[in-house]
Amino acid sequence: MAESKHTHPNYIGVFVALGVLTGLELLVAFLPWSQMTRILILLALAVWKAAMVGLYYMHLRYEPGRMRWLAVAPLPLAVILVYVVTREFRW
Amino acid sequence: MAHAAALDHEDVMQPPPGCEPGAGVYNEKLGMWVFLGSEIMFFTALIGAYIILRVAHPSSFKEPGEVLAVSITAVNTFLLICSSVTMVKAFASVQDGNLAGLRKWLVATVVIGASFVGVQIYEYQHLIAKGFVPSEGLYGSTFYTMTGFHGFHVTIGVICLIFVTIKAFQGKYTASDHRGVEVVGLYWHFVDLVWIILFTIVYLI
Amino acid sequence: MGQILWCVSLIVLGLSSILGSFNYITTIVNMRAKGMHWMRLPLSIWCLFVTAILVLLAMPILSGAIIMLLFDQTLGTHFFGPAQGGQPLLWQHLFWFFGHPEVYILILPGMGFASDIIANASRKPIFGYTSMVIAILGIGVLGWIVWGHHMFMSGMNPTLGTTFMISTMLIAVPSAIKVFNWLGTMWMGNIRFHVPMLHSIAFVSMFVIGGLSGVFMASTPVDIYIHDTYFIVAHLHYVLFGGSLFAIFAAITFWYPKMFGRMMNPTLGKVHFWLTLIFYNCVFFPMHNLGLKGHMRRLYDPNQYEFLKGLQGLNTFISISAFLLFTVQLIFAVNFIMSWFNGKKASENPWEDNGLEWTVPSPPPHGNFASPPQVYRGPYEYSSPLVSEDFLPQDRQLPGDASPAAHHT
Repeated sequence: MAESKHTHPNYIGVFVALGVLTGLELLVAFLPWSQMTRILILLALAVWKAAMVGLYYMHLRYEPGRMRWLAVAPLPLAVILVYVVTREFRW
Repeated sequence: MAHAAALDHEDVMQPPPGCEPGAGVYNEKLGMWVFLGSEIMFFTALIGAYIILRVAHPSSFKEPGEVLAVSITAVNTFLLICSSVTMVKAFASVQDGNLAGLRKWLVATVVIGASFVGVQIYEYQHLIAKGFVPSEGLYGSTFYTMTGFHGFHVTIGVICLIFVTIKAFQGKYTASDHRGVEVVGLYWHFVDLVWIILFTIVYLI
Repeated sequence: MGQILWCVSLIVLGLSSILGSFNYITTIVNMRAKGMHWMRLPLSIWCLFVTAILVLLAMPILSGAIIMLLFDQTLGTHFFGPAQGGQPLLWQHLFWFFGHPEVYILILPGMGFASDIIANASRKPIFGYTSMVIAILGIGVLGWIVWGHHMFMSGMNPTLGTTFMISTMLIAVPSAIKVFNWLGTMWMGNIRFHVPMLHSIAFVSMFVIGGLSGVFMASTPVDIYIHDTYFIVAHLHYVLFGGSLFAIFAAITFWYPKMFGRMMNPTLGKVHFWLTLIFYNCVFFPMHNLGLKGHMRRLYDPNQYEFLKGLQGLNTFISISAFLLFTVQLIFAVNFIMSWFNGKKASENPWEDNGLEWTVPSPPPHGNFASPPQVYRGPYEYSSPLVSEDFLPQDRQLPGDASPAAHHT
C-alpha cells in the first residue's frame, strides 16, 4: 500500500549547505594560518559535511536511535588506532 | 514453511514480523549498515596509514596544490555530492510512487557517478605523465592507494546502480517495495561520505 | 610470487569472513523468535554474536594492511620499506590491531560452546548468566586496546608499552569471571560425564593454564625475557589447543547428532579424549620450561647454541609426544566418518538439552522449524522445580506462562 511518508527532508537545502561548506574548506586550506589551526578547522568542516550526509541523505535522523549508534560504533576504534600509532612517532 | 511465510509478509520495508524487536529496520537495510561498518574500518586502515606515515615522515609529503590539482578535484567533489542528491531524489520519488521520477534520477546518478570515475582516471593519467607514480615515495604510495580504492568502490557502486536502474526500468520497484533502491543508495552515500573525508585530508591538508 | 599469492588469498579469505559475520549479526539482531529476548539467548549465541562483530571490524584492518604489503611488492610502493621513509612498525601495529581481536575471535565461540555443554552436563543453570554476558561484552570491548602486548620487543614508544601492559592485565578479569562461573555451574551438579563434557572440562582447565602464562607475558619487563621463546609457544598452544580445540571437539561431538542424525561412538570418543589430553600436555607443558631456559622460537638447529644443548632430551620428548598426539587424532577422524554411516541413530534431543535446535528433527528439515517457535524462558532451566524432568526446554509453555506474542519489550 503506497503510503506517502512524512514530507521529505529538505534535500536541496542540505545540498546547498554542503556546497557552502566545501567552498569554506577550499578557502581555509589556502589561508596563511598555522598548520594546526587549518587542520582542526578543515577536519571539523569535513566531519560536519559527513554528518549531514549521514543524517539526511542516509536518513539516520529518521531511523530508530539504535541505527545511529550502529553507524558510529566503529569510529572510536578508528580514532584509537590512528592516535596510538601516531604516538609511536612523536615521543 | 516458516521462512517462506516470513518472506511473504505484507510490509517488506518494515522489520520482519513475528520476531523479537531488533534494530527496528528491515533486514536488508540492517545488513547494509553492518557492511558499511566494515567499510569504515577498511578506509580507516588506508587513511590511518596515510596520517601515521605523514606524522612519521612529514618531509615526504607536499603542501596542498603543489602536486595534486585541487581545483579540478574540487569540481569532482561537487559532482559526487550532486550524485548523492540525485540518488536521494530517486529514493524520494519511489517513496511517493513516482516511478518516472525514480528512473530519471537513477539515470542521472549513474551518469554523474561514471563521470566522477572518468575525471579521476583523467587526473591519474595527468599525474603519472608528470612523474607522480605509486612508487614515488610515501606520498605516491598513500595517495594512489587511498584514492584508488575509493575509486574502486565508486566503480562497484556505479555497476550496482546500473543493475538497480535496469530493474527500475523493468518496473520492479514500487512505493511499497523499493528496498534495492534504498540499500544501494546507502552504499552510494557512504562512498560520497568517504570522499568528503578523503578530499579534505588528502588534497587540502 | 608465493608472497603475492599469500596476500591475495588472505584478502579473499578476509572478505568471506566479513560476509559471514554480517549474516550472523543481522540474523541475531533482527530475526530472533518471539520471546527470545537478548537475555534468553544461549551463551553460544552471545559468543558467536560478539565474535562476528570482532570479525566485521578487525578483518578490514588486516585487509588494508595486506593490500599495502601487496602494493609494496607489486607496485613498488613504500609503506613498510624503510628506504624511502616507510615504517615497519606501521605494519606491526596494523597487523596486531587485527591480530589481537583475532585471538578473541578464536576463543570466544569455544567459550560459548563450553557454557552450553557444561550447563547441560551438570543439569544446572549456568552460574551467573548476566555476568557471563557482561564478561563476553567486556572481552569484546577490551580486546581492542591491548594489541601492543604483541609488540613489547619491537622498539615501540615505552609509554605505549606501559598503557598496553595495564590494559592487558585488565582483560584477564572477564576471562577469569567466566572460569569461576563454569566452576560454579559444575559445583554440586548432577554431572553426566559424556564425551562433550569431558572435552569441556579439559577446555576449562587447559584454558586456565594458558591464561595464567598470559599474565606473565602481560608484564612488559617479564616479556622482555620470554618474548620469542618457547614460553610463548606454550601459552598460545594452551589457549588455542587446550582452549579452542578441546571446545571444538566438544562442540562437534555435541552437535553431530543434530547435524547428521547419528551419535558419534562414545567409546572411541573417550579413548580419543584421554589420549589427546595426555599427549597434548606432554607436548606443550615442557615448552614452559624450555622457554624459561631461553630456548628461542623458530630455531632450525638449537645445537648451535651451547646453552641449549642440555635441553635436547626435552626437545626429543616433545617431538615424540607430538607424533603420538597427531596419530591419536586419527581416532577422531575415523569416529567422525564411521559414525556417519554406522552411528546409533539420534533422536530429536539425545542430550536432553533446552535449546531450540533440539526441538526439531535430526537432521533438521529445510527451514528448520515447521512454524516459528515461541520462547518462554532462558536456555538453562535444568533441574527446575516446575517440572518432573530435569530439563525444561525454552519453547515449552507451562500453564502459568503468558504468550510471548502478547507482550512487548
